[in-house]
Formats: sequence, C-alpha cells, structure tokens
Amino acid sequence: MKINGNTEKALAILDRRDGRLQTHLNSCVRCGLCAESCIFYLSSNDERYIPAKKVDIVSSIYRRYNTLAGRLVPGLVNARNLDKAVAEEMVDLLYGSCTMCGRCTSHCSIGVDISYLVSVGRSMLSEMGMVPASLQSTVDAAIKTGNNMGIPEEDLLDTLEWLEEDLQDEVDDREAAIPLNKSNVNILYTLNPREPKFFPLSISAMAKIFYAAGESWTLSTRMYDVTNYAYYSGNLDEAREIARRLRDEMHELKAKTCVLAECGHGSRSFRWEGPNYLQGSYPFETITSVELISRYLREGRIKLDPTLNKERTTLHDPCNLVRSGGIFEEQRYILKNAVSDFVEMNPYGYDNYCCGGGGGQLAMSEYGERRLKAGELKVKQIKDTGALTVVTPCHNCVDQLMQLNQVYKMNVKIKTLAEVVADALVLE
Amino acid sequence: MDWYIIVSIAALLVCLFSCLYHFTRLIRLGSPGDFSQRTGNINRAVRYSFTGAMSPGKKESAFMHLPTYTAGLVYHTGTFLAIILFFFILAGLEAGTVAAYVFSAFLLAGALSGTGILIKRMTVSKLRSLSCTDDYISNILVTAFQYISILNLTGLVPEAIYFITASLLLLYVPLGKLRHLVYFFAARYQLGFFYGWRNAWPPSKNY
Repeated sequence: MKINGNTEKALAILDRRDGRLQTHLNSCVRCGLCAESCIFYLSSNDERYIPAKKVDIVSSIYRRYNTLAGRLVPGLVNARNLDKAVAEEMVDLLYGSCTMCGRCTSHCSIGVDISYLVSVGRSMLSEMGMVPASLQSTVDAAIKTGNNMGIPEEDLLDTLEWLEEDLQDEVDDREAAIPLNKSNVNILYTLNPREPKFFPLSISAMAKIFYAAGESWTLSTRMYDVTNYAYYSGNLDEAREIARRLRDEMHELKAKTCVLAECGHGSRSFRWEGPNYLQGSYPFETITSVELISRYLREGRIKLDPTLNKERTTLHDPCNLVRSGGIFEEQRYILKNAVSDFVEMNPYGYDNYCCGGGGGQLAMSEYGERRLKAGELKVKQIKDTGALTVVTPCHNCVDQLMQLNQVYKMNVKIKTLAEVVADALVLE
Repeated sequence: MDWYIIVSIAALLVCLFSCLYHFTRLIRLGSPGDFSQRTGNINRAVRYSFTGAMSPGKKESAFMHLPTYTAGLVYHTGTFLAIILFFFILAGLEAGTVAAYVFSAFLLAGALSGTGILIKRMTVSKLRSLSCTDDYISNILVTAFQYISILNLTGLVPEAIYFITASLLLLYVPLGKLRHLVYFFAARYQLGFFYGWRNAWPPSKNY
C-alpha cells in the first residue's frame, strides 16, 4: 500500500491543541494488562494485537516529533518516524485488528482512551490516503448516493410500498402507513441501509410499533441513512458531511426528534460525535429507537405479551450503544416485557465482548477471516446461555452474528429489538 | 552545603518545573468540550473514575491480574513514601530509629514489588514485546531509589549515593513514561468526563 496523501497533515493531527489527545498520548505505561480485554488478542494469543501496541504505534510517532527525548534519543523511548513501513503496520493494527469497541479503554489500568487513540491513528492514515479500499468505498457510496449501499430511491420506494401494504394487512387497517417526507412530525426515523436492502422486516417491525403507539412520524427518502462509516475510516471531513446531511434533513422536515435506528456506530456517530463534527449542538432531540420503545412501554403507549416470545432469548449489547452510549437499562426493560425467558450473557452490559463486526470490520473484506476468528468468544458466550434467540439492537452486530451463526453452527435466530417487540405487540 | 545536595536540589527543580509545565499545559488546553446533549453526571463519573472504576471489583485488568495489581499498588506506595522522605531528608530532618525501620519495611515491600514487576517485564513474552529501554530504565531508577532509601535510612550507604540516585530519578522523570505522574490523573479525569457525559459511568445500579 502506498502513502498517497499528506504525511505532514497526518503528523499535524498529533500536534493538535487538545487536552484529551495530549493526555492520552502521554499516559500509557505499557503494563500490558489490557491484553485480556481485547477479542483479537484473546482469540489469537497474538502479541501484536495487544491494545497497548495499538496505542504505542500512534504515541511512538507522537514522541518522535513532539517530545524532547523522542527528538534527541528516539531509541530510548521507542520514538518512530512516520514512514511507509510504520504506516502499513498502523493499517494492519488500527483498521485490521480493532473494532474500537472500547473494552480495553474501560479496563485500562491508567485510563488511556485506547479506542480514541485508534480513531486518531485512523485519521492520520486517512490523511495519508491509506484507508482500506473496501471501507473507503462504503464511505464513497454514502457521500455520492446518500446511503452507504448506494440504494436508488426508486428501489427504496418499491420496498417501502410493499412493506406498507404488508403492515396494513397485518394490523387490518387501510390507514396504517409508512409516511415519507412528511413535515412537522414528532419523529424523523432513520434506517440502516441494510434494512431496505436485506432486512426489510425490521422496518415493518418498527412501523408496527409506531402504529401501535399512534406516533406522528416519517421516513425521509432523501436522507435516511443512520450509518457514518467515515467515523470508522477516520476522515473527519466526510464524517462531518454525512452528519450535516441528517441534521439538515431534520431542519428541512421540521421534525422534533431524530430517532436513530438500531445501529450502534450510527447512533454514536450522529448523537455523540455529530455535534462535535459540526461544532454545534442540535436544536432537536436525538435518541435511539431503543430508548423510544422503552419510553412507549413506560408510558403505556404500547402493550406487550411476553408469552408470544417463549423461546429462551439472550441479548448482545452493541459496544457503541452501551459502553460508549450509556444505554444499559432500556433494552433490558424492553426484553423483560417482550420475552418470557430472558437470560444474560457473561460478561454482559458495559463489559460485554464485541461481536467482532464493529470498527468497520464488516465492510473490510480483507480482514474477514480475522473478524470471524475474533467472534469466537461471542459464539461461546451465546452457546453458554442456551438461548435459541439472540437479540441485538444493531444491524452491524446482526450481520456479524448471522455470519458467526453460519460458520460456528450455533443454530440460533438473530433478531433486532424492534422485531422481538413487534412479535409481542398486543394491538387493541 | 555538599555538592551532591546542590545537584539534587537542581534536579528537583528541573523535575518540578517540567511536571508543572505539563500540568499547566493541560490546564491551558482546558476541560473537554462537547456539543452533544449530555445525559449523565460528570462529577459522579469522575469520582467513579478515580475510585470504583479502579477497584478489582470493576476493573478486569485488576481482578484478572491480582498479584500484579497488588504489586503495582505496593510499588507506587513505596515510591510516594520514598519521595516524601526525600523532601524530609533534604530539609535536614531525620527519622527516629523506630520510624526508620517502619519506613524501611514499607520501602522494602515497594522495592520488592518493583523488582517483581521488572522481572515480569523481562521474562513474560508479551510484556517484553511491548517494552522499550524507557520501561526498563524507569523501573530500575524507581526501584533502585527505594532500595537506596532503605540503605540511607539505616545508615548503610553514603549520603552522596542516596542524593545522586535521587537526582538521576528526578532528571529522568520528564523524559520518559514516568511523566504519567502527571498524566495519570489527567487520563482518569478525561475518561470520567467521557463516560459521564454519556451516562456510561457510573454504571447502572442494576449492573
């Protein structure tokens, strides 16, 4: 892989006057205790994948150009020049063996935000034009077409049309609708493009929930994509552009609340990172569909019958939603109301293992084998629960779990939270 | 005043000014800014970051590595004790016999822990692969300072050796990873802020 971009711009990232960045670049003591928190290390026992190594490759470059010892005696503090070999190592470590799940961060003995430094390293590689081609093509599709799968508008409309007819049949109401581009509604609901492309039933599940709650909502055909793979590629300009489009669509439709579909990184990149990309707070509420469904339940706007989901069900917590999004109670509250036999994995919640599909891994086919190997831990967790259904409020996780299901023959059903809720809905 | 005391005072000033530089730089860079809609409590999260999140009950890196975690705690306790004693000795204050033995016991525990950590770094493959010269020098200087402090307290080493060791350590602090003396606290604060903003720390009571 060639360095196509600007090395100086990459180095300038490390020189940013940013307390968070300067703190974490200077904090690692290389104790190595983070190793057992990483699915890539645990699944391979390969020392290269210890999270501290991912920190060190970024901070060693920082030390070379930004510290006295690194400039004068680089060998003493392992300060490294940013050259082709180092950049290639960075690509393999920061893109190819990290999902930015943050598990190592929360368990770091010092408190180094390791996944943040990985994202900083990815931004450097992006400046050097070294984003893996498969990941970049996903970003390019989003920038060029408005959604990361390049779905033409007429295909989306066709899909939504038959989903609407299905919904009307299911609820036996000709007025039931999947509203498009409506202004002045309470909710603009987003989609992961995998839904119209591969999992349309998750759209109809959510539409059924909106119908049951009597919600005023809409989808946008112009900007519905909740994902932002530029957050993973590290290209902040492209990440900003994608976030800007969704924010502008909220303004255009004058919606009160932006509800983010079941997508961990999409939720994170728009809700938590988006305002910082855009350097301004959103003048509207932004919540995830998990919080919305939980709200409906608590307010009595929807009613569920857990006996309609009798199979033992477990929950996979998406890292970006739980560890980096603080959403822990809501999905459990929903599941305890929606299924009759709910069982936790071990560990779960804030300490849950990543499924291996995050960090853009699913988009990067070149690391597919490593990704599936890293998912072994998740497979063991699921098998240990004895569950027949695995619920996860994230389409990236759904995809990875489906592949793990096939490869490791788990024989479980993988569902989104909305699908399980829709199955348990009691329509009055 | 003996030359080695003057040297150690100079080294102390270099160390203090350097740490102060790093500290004031972080202060100047300011608190983390965030435009997103906060959902958690920063103060509670930062408190948790320095307390519960560091405990073996919550931190995997601690409960999976209890011997190393304990050795680390004892090592750092010994280090801080050695530094405090250095200030007293520099001020010309002397510990009584009993106090000297008590301090020596703590310092010995710290020094032995430091030695253990050093041996682990040299012998465990994954740690060796992570380590650079700085890691070994940092450990050797801090551990040696604790051993020499014991010898100084018990009068078994010339004072000059003690002050020279202290000077070497103080001069090295700004150069390598010993800077975590300052950055550790900043990192815990930053992490508490990050997780607190998003209501991920402190964890839910039902967790």
